Amino acid sequence: MTEVGARAVGASVRRVEDPRILTGRGRYLDDVVLPGMLHAAFLRSYAPHGRLLSVDVAEALELPGVVAVYTGADMQRLTEPGKPGVIAGMDQMPGMALPASYGLAVDKVRHVGDPIALVVAESRYLAEDALELIEVDIEPLEAVVSYADALDPAKPPLFEEVGSNLAFQMELPLGDVDGAFARADRVLTATISVHRHHPNPMETRGIVASWDSAAQKLTLHASTQSPHMLRLLLPPQIGVPMEQIRVLAADVGGGFGLKNSVFREDVAVAAAAKDLGRPVKWVEDRLEHLATGGHAREEKADVELAVTDDGRIIGARLDLVLNVGAYLADPFPGSTMAMAAVMFFQGPMKLEALGAKATSVFSNKATYVSYRGPWATGDFLRERSLDIVARELGLDPVEVRRRNYVVRDESPLAMLTGTPYLGVTTRECLEEAVRLLDVPAFRERQEAARAEGRYLGLGLAAYLEGAPPPKTNGERQADIVGDETTYLAVDERGRVVITTRQQPHGQGHQTTLAQVAADELGVRFTDIDVLWGDTDITPVALIGTGGSRAATMANGSVLHGSRALKAKVLALAAELLEADAGDLELADSTVSVRGTPGIALPLAELARIVATEPERLPDGVDADLRITEVFDGGEGGWSGGVHACVVEVDVETGLVAFERYVVVEDCGLPVNPAIVEGQIRGGVAQAVGAVLLEHAAYDEDGQFVAASFLDYLMPTSTLVPDIEVHHVQTVLNDPDVNFRGVGEGGMIVAPAAITSAIEDALAPFGAQVREQHLPPSRILELVGTVPVR
Amino acid sequence: MTSPLTSTDISLRVNGEERSATADVRTTLADFLREGLGLTGTHLGCEHGVCGACTVLLDGAAVRSCLLLAVQARGAEVTTVEGLAEGDRLHPVQQAFHDSHAFQCGFCTPGFVMTTVALLAEEPTPSRERIRECLSGNVCRCTGYQSIVDGVALAASRDAG
Amino acid sequence: MKPAPFAYAAPTTEDEVLDLLAEHGDEGKVIAGGQSLLPMLSMRLARPSVLIDLNGVAGLAGITEFDGGVAFGATTRERAAERSALVGDRLPVLAEALPLIGHEAIRNRGTIGGSIAHADASAELPAVAAVTDAQLVLRSRAGGERVLSAAEFFQGHYTTALADDELLTEVRIPGSPPGAGWAFTEVARRHGDFALVGVAAMVVLDDAGSVEAARLCLMGVADVPLRLPAVEASLAGQPVSADTVAAAATDAVAGLELASDVHGSGDFRRHLAEVTVRRALTTAADRAGAPA
Ligand SMILES: Cc1cc2nc3c(=O)[nH]c(=O)nc-3n(C[C@H](O)[C@H](O)[C@H](O)COP(=O)(O)OP(=O)(O)OC[C@H]3O[C@@H](n4cnc5c(N)ncnc54)[C@H](O)[C@@H]3O)c2cc1C
Ligand code: FES
Ligand code: FES
Repeated sequence: MTEVGARAVGASVRRVEDPRILTGRGRYLDDVVLPGMLHAAFLRSYAPHGRLLSVDVAEALELPGVVAVYTGADMQRLTEPGKPGVIAGMDQMPGMALPASYGLAVDKVRHVGDPIALVVAESRYLAEDALELIEVDIEPLEAVVSYADALDPAKPPLFEEVGSNLAFQMELPLGDVDGAFARADRVLTATISVHRHHPNPMETRGIVASWDSAAQKLTLHASTQSPHMLRLLLPPQIGVPMEQIRVLAADVGGGFGLKNSVFREDVAVAAAAKDLGRPVKWVEDRLEHLATGGHAREEKADVELAVTDDGRIIGARLDLVLNVGAYLADPFPGSTMAMAAVMFFQGPMKLEALGAKATSVFSNKATYVSYRGPWATGDFLRERSLDIVARELGLDPVEVRRRNYVVRDESPLAMLTGTPYLGVTTRECLEEAVRLLDVPAFRERQEAARAEGRYLGLGLAAYLEGAPPPKTNGERQADIVGDETTYLAVDERGRVVITTRQQPHGQGHQTTLAQVAADELGVRFTDIDVLWGDTDITPVALIGTGGSRAATMANGSVLHGSRALKAKVLALAAELLEADAGDLELADSTVSVRGTPGIALPLAELARIVATEPERLPDGVDADLRITEVFDGGEGGWSGGVHACVVEVDVETGLVAFERYVVVEDCGLPVNPAIVEGQIRGGVAQAVGAVLLEHAAYDEDGQFVAASFLDYLMPTSTLVPDIEVHHVQTVLNDPDVNFRGVGEGGMIVAPAAITSAIEDALAPFGAQVREQHLPPSRILELVGTVPVR
Repeated sequence: MTSPLTSTDISLRVNGEERSATADVRTTLADFLREGLGLTGTHLGCEHGVCGACTVLLDGAAVRSCLLLAVQARGAEVTTVEGLAEGDRLHPVQQAFHDSHAFQCGFCTPGFVMTTVALLAEEPTPSRERIRECLSGNVCRCTGYQSIVDGVALAASRDAG
Repeated sequence: MKPAPFAYAAPTTEDEVLDLLAEHGDEGKVIAGGQSLLPMLSMRLARPSVLIDLNGVAGLAGITEFDGGVAFGATTRERAAERSALVGDRLPVLAEALPLIGHEAIRNRGTIGGSIAHADASAELPAVAAVTDAQLVLRSRAGGERVLSAAEFFQGHYTTALADDELLTEVRIPGSPPGAGWAFTEVARRHGDFALVGVAAMVVLDDAGSVEAARLCLMGVADVPLRLPAVEASLAGQPVSADTVAAAATDAVAGLELASDVHGSGDFRRHLAEVTVRRALTTAADRAGAPA
């Protein structure tokens, strides 16, 4: 609850976006109403895998109120198949299979929920009535469900053109792996897995497409993290050039990585709207969303650790398989996350060598999408490994972490990949977490509780989040999502207008970017407007908001742009005031002359003169108060920290409750601490869900069994604890921009901290936690009271 | 004898105003508010009663508007999130949510606000634990709930003060 | 997720309801709180041609005294029962069960009769009806009135003795035996969820502190609320001790045939049932005045 004071940055300024949202005037996708708008619904496959023999839509077309019904054959007529990942250069990667697909199933269905037909009708009610009248004939094929199925050459390939169910394979040798194992005192092995779960934002997917045949322009209202992405990806598929597409996105009800994709449904709806010449709205319902909206995180790794007797992991071999589902996400195919996961295994650990094999496989499951820290399985493998070492050697997990985490300014100064550990404060965060939880006192309490039959456990884990990571050898690693461009201007009313390529969906950029600009410019916070979500005006970006980039990239771009804009304003004011620009200052939206009270030129007045009395400006003066700022991320740096928690496990029911949850993190300077803490807490809550509740489960035949909110359980307010957030600010890497991303950290590290705590609680039962999902049924298996299923 | 209807005029009071529109009897109250009356502040997060995003007050009691037919609300008094503020002045619960950073994307917010208004009308000074219990029928994917609990507690403390 | 078309009737008297039910038979369906029916309509798992709304029917809701206990008109809201002083006073097991049903916004609409007529095998109120020996009053044009016990009424998951043209009009719950201790205990994955298992228990102690009478009803482990007469009988005469209770819990789950589901295996559910029987019996015995 903070008023904007002398400095806006660093204060928990109340958000500009709040009043409209609180009063019901936010504008989310389903709130868009266009004249003549029609409503779409998809017929979806009940079969996991099969040949689509026929789709009969005749009866559906007869139903009054139905305007059109499209099938795969129509998509073949109206569109070209989408080639996932091409725009992001994935087709250049060896070992990568990128099968193309249409918006609707053509000859095969490949997972439960695969869209088969699209009904367009006067209302969603009628569209759903029509779905029931479509006759579909599917010849079942054997379903490919598990890792083993997918790797079994006897099982049918999902995509005949690929020839197998291998989606991606690569090896990553870093350092002298054999040497590290030769020097090890012992080798430990484990198979560690992460289950399928998903972002599940409260606003599902959706799109409203409208074709203006006179202007030959396609307008898309989208619920997306990146409006430009739609504009970049759709043209080859729907045959409308980029210049003729405008994408609008206003308020977006959450994304968490999911909405950084263009979906097959988007293609089908856009094609239908163009074909019909009328606006078409599709809003996914929750049942569709759960089955097909986009899943994440199904990985399993065989881990081999080269361990010394003093508890150091000096080398590791990983053999990781990722189950990517059927259709690949575009532009970021989930199969690439297998590589990202093994690369992040090291994190802040003094590893000397890593030999990794990463494989992705196709299966009859929904599309694998990015989810908040898409590589986080790597972090989970590392933190589980550290706990395995602790248990094997009889050391406290805290002590093992002390011995393995890097120390600032001590060797190694860089990861095995060469990226420097610039400003990494993992050890400082660890010690602070240990102090806050008073680990020695906890251990005593834990002993006493066990004697009473109560099982407490303490867990901790660390992570690094590159947002963006520091430069390697003075260079930024090739970054497919590029520099951050921002437009800044003083408009004719004297208001500062920031046009960002970010696409906020809960992060509050309308507030935070204005905070940064207010301080840098000396303009009142309330005199700043932030514009986003319209490809006609915003800078191009493949990723709008995602990858924890906004803190550094967008704030940095606004910071430097504000400085440049201020210089322009002062230069112009100097001409008008006949003063030296160096004597001028801009504060409270007014230019004044230092030491000369009484002379003041409000920014509004300056802007009015530029707009309406240009004759007052000296010849040749630059009165164009616009800036295009391109920011490359500066020195960049790591966010990171340690999460630690204490849980109590009811060993009779398998229910877990949190006693305390502590986050110690370093994200440089938080622009708006309340927003930063909200991002962290939200990520932890998702992790609580992942570990204890959420599982996008399929049965062995490929049927989807977590198909409603009664089976896919989201964390609620009685389970998620209060989460204490402590900030450590030790190192400032960049001379100017030291805001670092926090969007993903919570969800990256918390699953590891929570599972670690549960394993600790169950130590008296000899429990070995090798997976991330620990619902009550699994906990009782670990306790030993229920046979393993 | 009552003869069954398939479509009908639906009149009710919404946010203090008499409103009416014709609708198919199968229209849910949520769809009627959003599409029939243009009150899009009430959100749909699940349409099967679990997420609470669609919560409105029906004659003062919090209900799921996705689990009610519009025709069942004939003659009732419905309050939606649009009906709380007075002009530019936020309702105390809205103000407390604003002051507490009680949401991020805001999709769940109307449901939480309405649930809170109903709670505080009945129990002006709930404990933090009771607040958590009462909010447990509403799902928020963004916040982790703490800031929402803070917002409810702040609203309660101000009301009490 | 929108309901399929139907016609809607809003009768104002019970007679009109019975006429409509007689006319429409299995094509008609009554709607009470709608908290179970609306999701089924929206998922198109239920598709009646005529929906008969009970909410405007005069006199169908109400809480009155009955045989030392309480009678509920079928459309009495769960929340109204929860707030009723009479319920708190006379039906502690119902008072304990009600807040476990979903969330307040659901109980504000959901009805006592609706929950019982719906007969979800994981629902609290059918278990309460079974453990309290409730009487269920059914009426129809053709058959007039009949009064069934819970054992007669509940026939399977979502299946009851209600004929297509029949309306559940009243739920009568007799008062407890003097000195009875009651407990309703369940295990749910989240607050407000349908429970994985639940147990309603009653214990009456004799002067010596031994069990004089016991009742036990499990929910979520069979397709109906499961009373366990044999275990109830075997408890009689036993002293209250951890061993007695544990043995009863073991007996209670011994014969259960449980299927696996998304939440866990049948073995898992059996284990939870055993734990929950033990906890419920212990609490009920405590409340009956057993020494700690
Ligand atoms: C998110 C959520 C969570 C829930 N959690 C729980 C829970 O934990 N435990 C629990 O027990 N319930 C739970 N419920 C269900 C809730 O209790 C319902 O209110 C109740 O089961 C049905 O009551 P109703 O009045 O809403 O019935 P309706 O939905 O109106 O009707 C249900 C069925 O009963 C029939 N019916 C209703 N009244 C009569 C009558 N008088 N005579 C004949 N037939 C009749 C209807 O035709 C219909 O088939 C939950 C619901 C939701 C949405
Ligand atoms: S939309 Fe009504 S409860 Fe989710
Ligand atoms: S703020 Fe996004 S769902 Fe609650």
